[in-house]
Amino acid sequence: MEQPGFFPEQDPLMDGQMPDGTLRIKIIGVGGAGTNAVDRIKLEDLEQVHLTVIDTDNQVLSASPVEEAYLLGRNVTNGKSTGGSVDKGRMAAEADIEDLRRIVRGVDLVFILTGLGGGTGSGAAPVLAELAVSEGALVIAFTPMPFQREGSIRCERARKSLELMRKYCHAVISLPNDLIFKQVDDSATLMEAFAMADKWIKLGVHSIWSMLFNTGLINVDFSSLQSALAEPGGRTIFGTGYGKGENLLDQALQDLEKCPLLHLPEAGYFRDTDQLIINLTGGPDMTMATVNRAMDAVSEKFGCRNSLIMGASIDGSFYNQLRITVMGTVRSTANTKAYAPVPAASIPPNRPVAPPLKSAESFEEPASAAAAARRHQGEFAFPRQEENRGLFERTQQNLYEGEDLDIPTYLRRGIKILRS
Amino acid sequence: MSRSKIVGAIEIGTSKVVVLVAEMADGRSMNIIGRGQSTNIGMKKGEIVDLSSVSDCTHAAIMAAEKSAGNQIQHVYLSFSGSHLRGFRHAGATAITGSGNVVTATDVQRAVENAKSKVLDPGQVYIHHIRNGFVLDGHPVESPVSRQGSHLEVQYWHVTADEKKVKDHIMVVNGFGLDVNDIVISCLASGSLLATEAEKKQGVLVVDIGKGTTDYVLYRGRRVVQTGVIPVGGDHVTNDLSLGLRVKSKLAENLKLRAARAMVQKEDRNEKVPLVGDLSIGDSFHSQLSINKITHARLEELFIILKNRLGSLLTRQNLPCGVILTGGVSKTPLIGDLAEVTLDVPVVVGQSPDWVRHSELREPEYATVLGLLYNALYDQKEEAVNPKAGQRKWLSKMTGLFN
Repeated sequence: MEQPGFFPEQDPLMDGQMPDGTLRIKIIGVGGAGTNAVDRIKLEDLEQVHLTVIDTDNQVLSASPVEEAYLLGRNVTNGKSTGGSVDKGRMAAEADIEDLRRIVRGVDLVFILTGLGGGTGSGAAPVLAELAVSEGALVIAFTPMPFQREGSIRCERARKSLELMRKYCHAVISLPNDLIFKQVDDSATLMEAFAMADKWIKLGVHSIWSMLFNTGLINVDFSSLQSALAEPGGRTIFGTGYGKGENLLDQALQDLEKCPLLHLPEAGYFRDTDQLIINLTGGPDMTMATVNRAMDAVSEKFGCRNSLIMGASIDGSFYNQLRITVMGTVRSTANTKAYAPVPAASIPPNRPVAPPLKSAESFEEPASAAAAARRHQGEFAFPRQEENRGLFERTQQNLYEGEDLDIPTYLRRGIKILRS
Repeated sequence: MSRSKIVGAIEIGTSKVVVLVAEMADGRSMNIIGRGQSTNIGMKKGEIVDLSSVSDCTHAAIMAAEKSAGNQIQHVYLSFSGSHLRGFRHAGATAITGSGNVVTATDVQRAVENAKSKVLDPGQVYIHHIRNGFVLDGHPVESPVSRQGSHLEVQYWHVTADEKKVKDHIMVVNGFGLDVNDIVISCLASGSLLATEAEKKQGVLVVDIGKGTTDYVLYRGRRVVQTGVIPVGGDHVTNDLSLGLRVKSKLAENLKLRAARAMVQKEDRNEKVPLVGDLSIGDSFHSQLSINKITHARLEELFIILKNRLGSLLTRQNLPCGVILTGGVSKTPLIGDLAEVTLDVPVVVGQSPDWVRHSELREPEYATVLGLLYNALYDQKEEAVNPKAGQRKWLSKMTGLFN
C-alpha cells in the first residue's frame, strides 16, 4: 500500500526541502543595495533562514560575507556592473533564468531586498520575483527607493520597476530614502545614514520572521500570511512600532504612529486595506491583558473593513519590550477609495530639486492605469485622513460609529466630486 | 403699580452672539426693546476654543444691545449648546405608606428627590430636570396627589453638561458684570418658541441646525421627551465644500449661502456657479452638481444620524406632527424635501409665532434667543407669583423652569 503523504514522483530537485514541513525562508538581496542589506541581516542570525545575494558585479559579491552568492549574467556584463542599464539587468537575469529558478525552488517564503533605481535591482528583481511566484513561493519585497536628488531618470526608473514588482510580488514594501533619511540628524556619518535604511529592512524582515517562528500566544502562521496576501498585485502598507519599560504599550503605539513607512503618500487609509495583519512581539512577561489592550487600541485605529488577523508572539530576549507590526494589502488598484496624493497632478515629471518630503510624494504616486484615469477625472484626495479636517483641524475628533464626522462626508462615502 | 424688569436673553452660538433686551411687566407681557449681535470667532462645534475672543464678542453684543435699548440689563438668561451636553432618562420611585394609601405631597416630593438623586460622573453637572409625568401603580397620571395607590413613579429626562464648559459660558457673562439668572440649553429655547401647544401634545421634533451643532428636542404629550446635540452643523457643509472644491473657507461659506442646495437635481449638471460672482478677473466657476452633491451628502448623513439616535420615536405613528426645522442651515433650499425623504415624516421649516413682528427677528437664526425670552417671561411670571424665589444662585436655579 502506498503510504499517505508519500509521493514517489516527487521532483528530485525538491529533495532539498525539509521533509517535516518546516518553512523554508530565503532572503535574497539583488544588486548592490540589496546585497548590503542582506549582509547586515546576516549579523542578526535568524534561524531557519537562508541568505542569498545576487549581483552582476563581482566586486560587490566578493566583499559580501554571505556564503551563497551568485554572479548574474556572466555573459552579459562579464562580472562588471550594469552601469545603470535596466535592460542589461533584465537580460542578465533572463540569461541565467535556470540558475535563478534553482535558487527559489522549493522555498516557501522569499524576501527580495533590492534597491530600485540602479540597473541590476530594477532589471533583475522583477524577473526573480515573477520566477519565485511561479515556483509557488510567497514573495515579499523590500525596496529602498532612490533619493529625489539622484536625478529624475533614476527615480523614473525606480518607479517603473516598482510597478513591475507590485505586479508580481505578493507584497512590496517600498522605503523611500528621502523619507527614511529625514530621521537621521546632520551629524550622522554616511555609514550611519545607510545603516538606518538597512535597519528598516531588517526590522521588516525580522518582524515577519518573528511573527512566523516565535511561540505564538495568538498564532499567526505561514498559512494565514499566505491567505492574507493571496493575490499578487496590490499595494502594501507596512508599519512597526516599539516600546519598552513601564509604558511599553503606549510607547509602542506612539512609535507606530510615527513610523515613517505609514506616512507614505501612497499608503492610503488603513480602512481601505482588504486585509490587515497585526502582530505583537513581546517578552515572556507579556500579559494577556497587554495583548488585549494593544489589539483594541490598534484595531480601533487601523480597523479595516474586511478582515483582521491578529497575532501575538513571544521572544525570549524581549523582556519588558513590545513591538507592534501592522501589515496590510490593498488589492484592487481600481478601488475608488485609493487616494492619489494631492500634488501628483500638478507636478511636472522632471521637476528640479524640491524639499525631500514633497519629492517623496511625487515619485511615489501609484501610476497604474486606474490611478491615471482617476487623476484625469479630476478627483483628488489627501494622503492622510487626519489632514482632511480643514476648519476642524485642531479640534477634538468627532466620532460617530467609528467615523470622524469632521471629515467631509463625500470623502468617507467615496462620492466622486468633479472639479471644474 | 407693577414694576417692569429689563431682561436680557443671550445666546452664545457658534456663528454669532445674539442679545435681545426686553421689558417685562409682571410676566404678563414683554416688549423687545433692544438687540445686539456680533460675529463669534472663538467657537467651533458649539464649544469655546478661544475664551478671550468669545468674551470680547459677547461683551460687544451686550454693549450694543444695551445701547439700542437705552437701558441696562437686570436679569440675564443664557443659552448655549455643545456636544458635551448629555441627556438620559431616569425615574424616581417611592412606596406610598401613608394612611389609606393616599398619595400626599410628601410622597411626590420623595419620588422627585429620588429621581434627581442619581450621582453623575465627576465634572458633570445637571442643567435641567424635565418631568415627564407620574406613573401610579403602572398607570400614567397627570397629578397623583390625593389619589390612591401603592407605588408612585416619576419620570424624568435629565440634561447634564460638562461643569467646566458651563462655567466658561457663565464666566463670559459675569465678566461683563452681570449675573446669570438661568440657563436654558438652546434646543429647549427654540423648541418652546416654534412648536405650538397642539403640536407638543401630539408629538413633534424640533431640529435646530446651527453653524456648529444640530440641537433637537422631541415633545410628546406636552412634555419634553428627549433632547440631544449632534456636533455637526453648517460649518461642516462649508468645510466639506472648501475641501471638496479646494477653495478658501470664506469663499466656500459665501458659495454655500448663494448656491448650495440640499438635493441634487437633473438640471444641476449643466449649471456653473461663479466662486466670487462679482465678474472680477480670475473668478472661477464651479459645477452646481458638485456643490449640491457635497451638501447633500453631509445633510443626508446628519438626518441619518438623527434617525438612528431617535429610533422608533421618529416614525409617522409616534410623531404625527413631524419635524420642524430651524437654525441657519434650515434656509438651505430643498432641505425640507431631503429631510422628508430621509426621515419619512412630514417636515416643515419653522415659522416664528405671530407675536414676533420684526421681519428680521423672524429669521430662523433668532429662534433660540426669542425662545429664551419666551421662557424668561414664564419664569418672571413665576417669580411675580412667588416672590420668595427671588434671586437664586444659578446652580440651584437652573433646574427651575421645567419642573
